[in-house]
Amino acid sequence: MRPAYRPRVLVSFAFFLLLPVTAFADDDPKPKPENTIVIRASQPVTAQKFARAFTILITDVSDRSGNPQPMLVYRPRGGIFVDRMPTEVLRDSLQDSLKQAGLLARDKDSADLTAKVYVFKFGLAPGSGLDFFGSVEFAVVLKNTKTGATQEVRAAGTSIANAAVLKKNIQKNVRENLETALGDALTNFFRGAQLRDAVKNLLAAPEKPAGAAENPQGEMAAKIKRGEDRKWRVK
Amino acid sequence: MESEMKRLWLSAAFVLFCGALTFAKDPEQYYKTAEVKHYTKLEGIELSLTFTDYLYAELRAQLTKAKIFGRVVSEGEVVDDADVPSSIVLNGQLVEFKKGNLAKEVIIGFSSGYRRLKLDTVVTNRGDGATLFTLHTQVRTPPNRTEQLMAKAAADAIAHELRDAMKKEREKK
Repeated sequence: MRPAYRPRVLVSFAFFLLLPVTAFADDDPKPKPENTIVIRASQPVTAQKFARAFTILITDVSDRSGNPQPMLVYRPRGGIFVDRMPTEVLRDSLQDSLKQAGLLARDKDSADLTAKVYVFKFGLAPGSGLDFFGSVEFAVVLKNTKTGATQEVRAAGTSIANAAVLKKNIQKNVRENLETALGDALTNFFRGAQLRDAVKNLLAAPEKPAGAAENPQGEMAAKIKRGEDRKWRVK
Repeated sequence: MESEMKRLWLSAAFVLFCGALTFAKDPEQYYKTAEVKHYTKLEGIELSLTFTDYLYAELRAQLTKAKIFGRVVSEGEVVDDADVPSSIVLNGQLVEFKKGNLAKEVIIGFSSGYRRLKLDTVVTNRGDGATLFTLHTQVRTPPNRTEQLMAKAAADAIAHELRDAMKKEREKK
């Protein structure tokens, strides 16, 4: 004879078994139109004045952040995603600012310098809990198309915005925060002393035929080729 | 009678509004630009690298909020030649950090066992590099709070001290 309460016991037992499963269930946020934000640089950046006119072509933008989900900028409460990859956002922003300053080259042949961009940080960094801390960091490797000489320019932008409780306000604050951080990083790049010095060094360098750096000439270069410099290295 | 009272209230409100407008003063701008540099750490200070990043960002935010400078520029940014004499640079160093003791804080209370951070800030003129102010700041926060909260408190204190120092300097002149 089976007791009448058996099914109820089984159901409650199953409920208590499933409870931790649901609590620790994978709640990876998925990009949807309602949790996706569009990022544009907050304001057009006015570049500094350079002694000599030149043009830059952005050849490549790579992500070096090591972030497996670069488009996810805020994880809790369903997550917040950006509409494009950070590399694309940065490429567009850099190109817009270059275009506005009249520094954007039309093609590789007309460019004085080519730029390879590496994105190190794009998103929210750990903050105090009372605010959102937006951080954008990137490095640009400028290369003189004629001499092959390169120089790196680093730029970083930060922004701190108030936290919010409502989902709508969180999205708004995160968007504003990222846009300000991006604008700050672009300002840091275009108005930075590093860019000024890099351009000065690269354009002032005596022009060598392309590939000269890869095939060095002279007595020491010949010694290196022959392997005669090894004795010096050992010493 | 009722219309007279209404008129009296309206005129009182108008007088108060005009008075508020007269006494409301925009915060004074002391310098055209201020450049904040990342604070350096003395050897043995156990604070993460993100702490200095956050302190830098928070200090810039606080100085912008204080409205005592025309523009707070980021590290390494160039300034127009005309603005250089009226620009300052903030260089700082984390001098001392005590981790605090949570047990002490819980058992004894009265802010014993708090974390303590001492910072030195040197404010120089961008044009000639002359030292204008040297600030010694100390902040104390509960040991169970995050580093970022301590950075926030430090940035707030530095901004206040700088504003007070500039105000005093202006009054002396």
